[in-house]
Amino acid sequence: MLLVLALLAGSALAGCSSDNRTTITFFQFKAEAQQYFQQLAAQFERANPDIRVVVDNPADPETALRTRLVKNDVPDVMTLNGNGTFGEFASAKIFRDFRDDPVLADVNPAYLSVTGSLGAGSKGEVNGVPFAANASGLLYNKELFAEQGVAVPTTFDELIAAAKKFQAAGITPFYGTLADAWTAQSPLAPLSAQLQPADFFQQRFEGRTTFAEGWRSTAAELAELYRYTQPDPLSKGYEDGTAAFARGESAMLLLGSYAVPQIRDGKPGFTVASMALPATNDPAKTSLVSGVDVVLTASRNGAHPAESSKFINFLMGTKVMQDYCAAQVAIPTLKGLTNDDPALTGVQSYIRSGRIVGFTDHQFIQAIPLGPLLQEFLITGDENTFLRKLDSDWDKVAKRRTWGLGAVIKS
Amino acid sequence: MKPGVRLANAFYVMVLPAFLLFFIFHTIPVIQGIYYSFTDSPGYGPANFVGLRNYIALFTDPRVLHAYWFTFLIAAVATVLVNIVSLAIAVGLNGRIKFKNGLRGIYFIPNVLAILVVGYIFNYLFSNSVPALATKIGIDSLSTSLLTKASTAWIAIVILAVWQSAAFNIIIYIAGLQTVPTEMYEASNLDGASAWRQFRSITFPMIAGFFTINMVLSLKGFLQIFDHIVALTGGGPGTDTESVALLIYKGGFQGGEYGYQSANSVIFFIVIVGFSIVQLRVLQRREVEV
Repeated sequence: MLLVLALLAGSALAGCSSDNRTTITFFQFKAEAQQYFQQLAAQFERANPDIRVVVDNPADPETALRTRLVKNDVPDVMTLNGNGTFGEFASAKIFRDFRDDPVLADVNPAYLSVTGSLGAGSKGEVNGVPFAANASGLLYNKELFAEQGVAVPTTFDELIAAAKKFQAAGITPFYGTLADAWTAQSPLAPLSAQLQPADFFQQRFEGRTTFAEGWRSTAAELAELYRYTQPDPLSKGYEDGTAAFARGESAMLLLGSYAVPQIRDGKPGFTVASMALPATNDPAKTSLVSGVDVVLTASRNGAHPAESSKFINFLMGTKVMQDYCAAQVAIPTLKGLTNDDPALTGVQSYIRSGRIVGFTDHQFIQAIPLGPLLQEFLITGDENTFLRKLDSDWDKVAKRRTWGLGAVIKS
Repeated sequence: MKPGVRLANAFYVMVLPAFLLFFIFHTIPVIQGIYYSFTDSPGYGPANFVGLRNYIALFTDPRVLHAYWFTFLIAAVATVLVNIVSLAIAVGLNGRIKFKNGLRGIYFIPNVLAILVVGYIFNYLFSNSVPALATKIGIDSLSTSLLTKASTAWIAIVILAVWQSAAFNIIIYIAGLQTVPTEMYEASNLDGASAWRQFRSITFPMIAGFFTINMVLSLKGFLQIFDHIVALTGGGPGTDTESVALLIYKGGFQGGEYGYQSANSVIFFIVIVGFSIVQLRVLQRREVEV
């Protein structure tokens, strides 16, 4: 018996060594698209018989990646969310510089500037290839809007009026999902982007302004929106919210396009529509928050740069991107591509005309507990404490760190 | 050669693997952690030596101070409660009752379940079942989830912690109770002592050593409370229910402040060792007096 096992093991090992393919690791963060990327990797392997792609899709990907970085074990190719953590890693010189890579030639420059504003290894570096973008505005239930005769609001006052109308009709206007603290950052981003002074973060990094000054109206409007949630929004999370919305329990959901696949999960035919979240009473000032939902990048000093590039080029192919965006209700980042999903119709004009701003909350590194502070604020409604804590946490982190925060501006 | 010497060598050989494992997987990481606590390392990439700056920053960080206060609160309350509960149950299970072994088995179950799994079940109970039940009966104060208010979330955490760790403490107390000679109870019965008097004057003093062990182990365990909070509140609402261990994990591994939280770990390590030594000394002195 042991002999058989030993023989088997021996032949298995021999099998490995006779496989002279180059192995690259592909770190994939998006849990929803796990199978999709696995199929793509298999497709790539068939087209390139000399390369093996190992797809690694851990739970809690950002923490998992951090622990790999500690061991100096940077995956060859990675997908990451274009957020503050991406910027932090980029400034720690983990990612390759794609500045002169032809793969960027057809990428919409608006998205390059969105990822660029997060952080870079040094001035002028491009540390990621935008693959799919999202639109963070407001999702709404088209049928409920028609049923109640509510027009799509274009100003903040109209939005509140719509909320009041739904509430009077016994329908929850917004479904609060504060059990997942990050969900409050979703409406925060468009509100602050429209209400803060134009160079607010630059000023904040330099210590010349405070959140108490620049974000007061943002905090007030955010609190106002959360006055129209179901009772006890803190006991419900992201998945409860998307499920309740799909069941028609709320008219609107303060989340972006990334939530659409999850909403349709249980109810494929559900008519979800989107709009930009108006923060002012001047429709001309409304802008759409759009970030890079999936950014592709490679290890700066990886062992297989050529194979990694090949794989990234394959993923950035027109057809692959188009299909991915259709499946995940995402916005393609290559020039000339669009996604005709009805859930994106309401925000299409902003994307076409480039009235796009990045997520403001992506300027926060993880050490500043923005999500928990927002959660606390929206329960207590204490604006002053929230802004003061935000400022003091920001300053405290800035003081005790010599890098990371503000690296964006310095580079 | 004398046989005694050869015996000693054998003992060293037997101890060596354990010592090596402990040194490689425990002592070296501890030393590394102490080194990192003097740097601003995020755990990867370049890092600078910053001297005592992390330690100074720790003592002025309200989030850290709150985590310590919160951890002490949970640990103190849970330690007292778990010992009262498990001693009471152990005395019951040691009495002449039916299905004694079956009941002992049932009471031990929470100890073998994973805290995270149980925690998510409790989370569901606290946020859905309890409020639904309370609304039906008409108890307004319980109609919203305990977990959503900073002032009540810690109670839910204590309930889960006590429920889960009582199982292990019960086992130790049952073991202790079985060391008490039955003759003493028979003698006290003849003297006409009440059940409470028997407990106070015979049972409790006789199991003082087990009481000490349970108190020290519970306090040490609850000071490191982590899974319970992850499953129930994730540190929320806000950062109100963050324990020190959770803060170290969140800040160090998720927040990229590896150096800063290493300094926190060093402090926390000293605090736990200090607490355990003091507690052991005090409780053992009490044992001697009886």
